[in-house]
Amino acid sequence: MTVFFQAVLSGVLIGGIYALIGIGMSIIFGVMRIINFAHGDILMLGMYLSYYLFALAGIDPFVSVLIIIPIMFAFGALLQKVFINRMLDALPQNQLLLTIGLGLIMSNAMMLAFTSDYKILTTSYSSASVTLAGISISEPLAISFLITAGITALLYWFLTRTDTGQAIRATAQDAQAAQLMGINVKRMGMIAFGIGGALAATAGALISPTYYIYPQVGSAFTLKAFVITVMGGMGSVVGATIGGIIIGVTESVSSVCISSGWKDVVVFAVFLLVLLFKPAGLMGKSRM
Amino acid sequence: MGSRLSNIILLLTLAALFFFPRFVESPYAFHIMILLFLSTIVGTSWNIIGGYTGQYSIGHAAYFGTGAYVTMVLMKDKQIPPWLGVWAGVALVIIIALVIGSICFRLRGPYFVLASIAVAEIMRLSAMNLKELTNGAEGILATELPAFRIGGRVLTDFVSKTPFYYISLVLAVVTIVVAFLVLHSKLGYCFQAIREDQDAAHALGINPTFYKNAALVISAIFTGIAGGFYAIYVGFVDPATVMSLDISVQIVLVCIIGGIGTIYGPLIGSILIVPITEALRSNLIAEAIFKTGMVSQESHFGSFLKENLAHAHALIYGILVVLVILFMPEGVVGFQRKLWSKWNKGLG
Repeated sequence: MTVFFQAVLSGVLIGGIYALIGIGMSIIFGVMRIINFAHGDILMLGMYLSYYLFALAGIDPFVSVLIIIPIMFAFGALLQKVFINRMLDALPQNQLLLTIGLGLIMSNAMMLAFTSDYKILTTSYSSASVTLAGISISEPLAISFLITAGITALLYWFLTRTDTGQAIRATAQDAQAAQLMGINVKRMGMIAFGIGGALAATAGALISPTYYIYPQVGSAFTLKAFVITVMGGMGSVVGATIGGIIIGVTESVSSVCISSGWKDVVVFAVFLLVLLFKPAGLMGKSRM
Repeated sequence: MGSRLSNIILLLTLAALFFFPRFVESPYAFHIMILLFLSTIVGTSWNIIGGYTGQYSIGHAAYFGTGAYVTMVLMKDKQIPPWLGVWAGVALVIIIALVIGSICFRLRGPYFVLASIAVAEIMRLSAMNLKELTNGAEGILATELPAFRIGGRVLTDFVSKTPFYYISLVLAVVTIVVAFLVLHSKLGYCFQAIREDQDAAHALGINPTFYKNAALVISAIFTGIAGGFYAIYVGFVDPATVMSLDISVQIVLVCIIGGIGTIYGPLIGSILIVPITEALRSNLIAEAIFKTGMVSQESHFGSFLKENLAHAHALIYGILVVLVILFMPEGVVGFQRKLWSKWNKGLG
């Protein structure tokens, strides 16, 4: 039984990170109706930034998040301005392929620059853990879960309480109506892509002490991100948070109960079931 | 282009391809041509479901990989020659396509794309985990092929690349001809009607689920055959080379770059992409740069090029796709058609 609770708890912790990735993709989808296939690659960029900030400047990955967020926000907004804004009226399939192309460029440019060798970021607490009532909790995962929770709360406040946040939500609900109300939709797109990119990169930085860092690491996270986004209902922040935790727990429990090789199969099977029986997502039709 | 002129060009090209082995000896040139035909086969078969029917499957690695694995496993474990084993692969591919179709075709647009990826990933992970059958991530290696005989007479022993050249050439021509026939048949008109407007097609009495499944099965059959051919040509299968998301993506990219929904698009896309990527992969380009003398092989930059340029082919894919999607979303063939019609208007 302890093993089971242990699995659930570590699932929740990693689920918090997944939620962060999913929320980013969900906001991008909500505002622009684009599935961002480069999402995992942006996460990978965050991992490398965190790695080099640690290796060269000695900045702790949990602190470097503060540097990574503005950089990757600007990067996301730039991607939106240069590439995605030209494609807003194109076929959804072509938008998807564009982001696939951008992702390929990111991962392969990184491979050219830093080779495909695995990098490991080892901090003093990388393998530290706390034991509570017989259940051990990985320290870096617990810290990143707390940071994730903080960021999610902040984001929720931003989206519901500030003018810009409300403008983003309005654009997500109906871009044309928002434009008629005087909202600069293209600008909202840039902000949304900026936030999405920053969230993905933050997730990358937060997991950098516990994961291998290599240029192709992104695609696995892209797949997870869209599983989460679809489960939560495309465009819903609350949904993506719940979806992320569900996926984290599913993964962790099935790797204990079945085997770690099959855990992703279970995740994709759950995903297909959701697509088939509740295609609007677990949270129904609500957006953001 | 006058149709008589294009027919003559077509016949001349076919004749040139047929006599190619008489005049070229370099096994490397053969290798490039075989990969080019292979890429044309999978691109053309993807085009049937993606281009003509408008269902962007990003999970074709499932069919390619199944064809490859079945052919390889039957040859290694059951000593069934690959030219028979591949048909067992095709049978399994048809079943898988129907299962995938029954799940994924309930969904539309981006949801269908995501579902097709999810199914292909499940297949890849299964190939990783069913170790007794597939040898997991290590893959299966075949060092020699049984000789191809008819009634005791050995037709070829597959030592040179020539038999592979002709097999892949014939497969490529057959695939293109089938795609052409499908496109200009009632079946093809139904496919295109669904692509243009599924609801309108449905209202006119076209059953979208039936025709989408038909398109997927046709597409999967040729992709599976190509997978089986690839397995015996390379003599090695593992989940990363025949089942990965990269394979699915590359199949789509060849079509995008050449021109989605056109007969020659996948061929043009392959001609543009395969030689460049292969030259990069085998370090030909790095060596060419050294020969020009601009960069010395011993310099820091030179050794960097030598080590890394081989991995740059996927970067080229990425850059080409972004450029094509942004500036000529109809691909090279569509772009050329546009230029051609402008030219004709200018004359008239």
